[in-house]
Amino acid sequence: MTRRKFALLSGAAVVGAYGSIKLQKVEKPPKLADGPSGQSSVAIIRARSYSDDLVSRMLEGIRQCGLDVRGKRVLLKPNLVEFDPATVINTNASVIAAAVEVFERLGASEVKIGEGPGHRRDTLDMADDARYRATIPNFERIFTDLNRDDVSPVKGFGGEQEFYFPNTVLGADLIVSLAKMKTHHWAGATLSMKNFFGVVPGSVYGWPKNKLHYYGIPESIVALNRQFGRKAFAIVDGVVGMEGNGPIQGIPKPVGVLVMGSDLVAVDSTCCRIMGIDPEKVSYLRMAAGLGHVHPGRIEQRGETIASVETSFALIDDFKDLRLV
Amino acid sequence: MGGLYLESRLEFLRASQNQDGGWSYFPGKGSWLEPTTYAMLALHGTGSLDTEAALDRAWKLVRSWQLPDGSFRPSGEVKDGTWVTAHAVTLASVRGVDDASVRASVDWLLRVVGAEHNIWTRTGSFLHLIKARLDVSHQGWPWREGNATWIEPTAHTLVALKKVASRYRTAEVQRRVRDGEDLVLSRRCTDGGWNYGTPNMLYFDLPSYPETTALALLGLDGRSDHEYAGALDLAERFRAETKSSLGKAWLQIALRCQGRNVAAPDGPRQSNDIMLASLEALGHPEGNYKLFCAGGRS
Repeated sequence: MTRRKFALLSGAAVVGAYGSIKLQKVEKPPKLADGPSGQSSVAIIRARSYSDDLVSRMLEGIRQCGLDVRGKRVLLKPNLVEFDPATVINTNASVIAAAVEVFERLGASEVKIGEGPGHRRDTLDMADDARYRATIPNFERIFTDLNRDDVSPVKGFGGEQEFYFPNTVLGADLIVSLAKMKTHHWAGATLSMKNFFGVVPGSVYGWPKNKLHYYGIPESIVALNRQFGRKAFAIVDGVVGMEGNGPIQGIPKPVGVLVMGSDLVAVDSTCCRIMGIDPEKVSYLRMAAGLGHVHPGRIEQRGETIASVETSFALIDDFKDLRLV
Repeated sequence: MGGLYLESRLEFLRASQNQDGGWSYFPGKGSWLEPTTYAMLALHGTGSLDTEAALDRAWKLVRSWQLPDGSFRPSGEVKDGTWVTAHAVTLASVRGVDDASVRASVDWLLRVVGAEHNIWTRTGSFLHLIKARLDVSHQGWPWREGNATWIEPTAHTLVALKKVASRYRTAEVQRRVRDGEDLVLSRRCTDGGWNYGTPNMLYFDLPSYPETTALALLGLDGRSDHEYAGALDLAERFRAETKSSLGKAWLQIALRCQGRNVAAPDGPRQSNDIMLASLEALGHPEGNYKLFCAGGRS
């Protein structure tokens, strides 16, 4: 019996829940699924530090991607997980503050921020630690703790008859995944698509959202993006990313970029290439290949080239074989 | 009594009760069982007839969320029963209710086991295929049936079951309580406290947190503290140092239950978080923290 088969038989969820058994090494299917027709635009914009003019950088990236937000109710979904002053776990507060200004300037009818951290329950205190309240104007007025929002059922998500999502998420016209560029000890990398784990309400599914581990982490990432990807846009904070044992215990890795696009599969694939990871070996991106583009030939790279910003991220032993060669 | 700290929070709770009798996580939202439980416990026995009538309405709403299998839904919108069943049992016990429907909930709690306690995972652990210091021989409780054990639902279930242990299925309740406590003890982090789930992941030790350390101590209340030496001192240190309001509130409750003489908190209410206000009220020396205690010290 292979280790993977053992893990599946023993209930993969337990494994995911505790991060205990190695099951990430997936058999590589012979061929990636074709994405949608045409190409996807992904903008790589230089931002060497958080004190740069991030508003102008974001406006430039959004213009290059052709996103129109006029009249839309926009929900910004940062990655707020945990706070440790020694590293860079969360989407930087300056990036979120800039995004609020950008989407207001572009004519959104409403700009809100929402997040449901995976395991910590004191969301607002973490937001304080991460300087969200201090940096983002009117933070408390526009922020919703998605773990404790009211919910409504959605039919057919992840094979469930009904799955519950926060009303703030369901009511948004555009969800902007303001993710952090990080390695991840289960998924290989955590970028704009994995960031959607935070829309699953803890009040229904617990802390962490253990149900997703049982469904499978890559499977859940894909299902969430199938559910919300059509009304999503990504801005990945790669000004300073995290390498090594991410998403919490890794170490800071300056890259100096913001990566943006409407095709989140293409955005994450581009981020992987910047990080020195082969996206075709990342199981969730392989599975998501039908939702968007993984192949570089189908991604129209705008702004900087990948080669000009490529910054090899350290990978834990379990993911050495993801290295882009 | 209680001064501004306690009264401002209780007044906020009285004013934020929803029309249906329950409490939401934040004012203006729908009712959920978790904040309703904490608000009810905080307001329990606080005096006026109006408050008693309000609590009766809340209890009626909570009971309407029970499912035929004995479990409780976390809100009127959600159809499945979850860990909040433990809260309903605690509430019933506090209100002196001991009937067939409460016993059905206890039966449900006794039946539910964290999913890691299965033959495959135990075999994997025995064969060292599991790369964590994880003792899967004990039975804890998950957030939802069929999922893995976590510290918080386990702690709340231990609190609930200790309240009914002398009245119903005593031997089985005591066995699950003892084993659940053993599970909590087995999940201690190297720093002496508790993380949300397990003390390490892959090859890396995980840190403990104020709120989960407090909850673990609540779950262990009544057990000899020799078995978790140092944890109370760590909890005291967390209480002094943490910026987490939620962590501080749970620590106030847990440390008082554990017999520590903790200084009374002060200051006005800082947020409109109903659950936090309830827990802060409960953790005040003149608050109802004893409703969480296992007995003996309280």
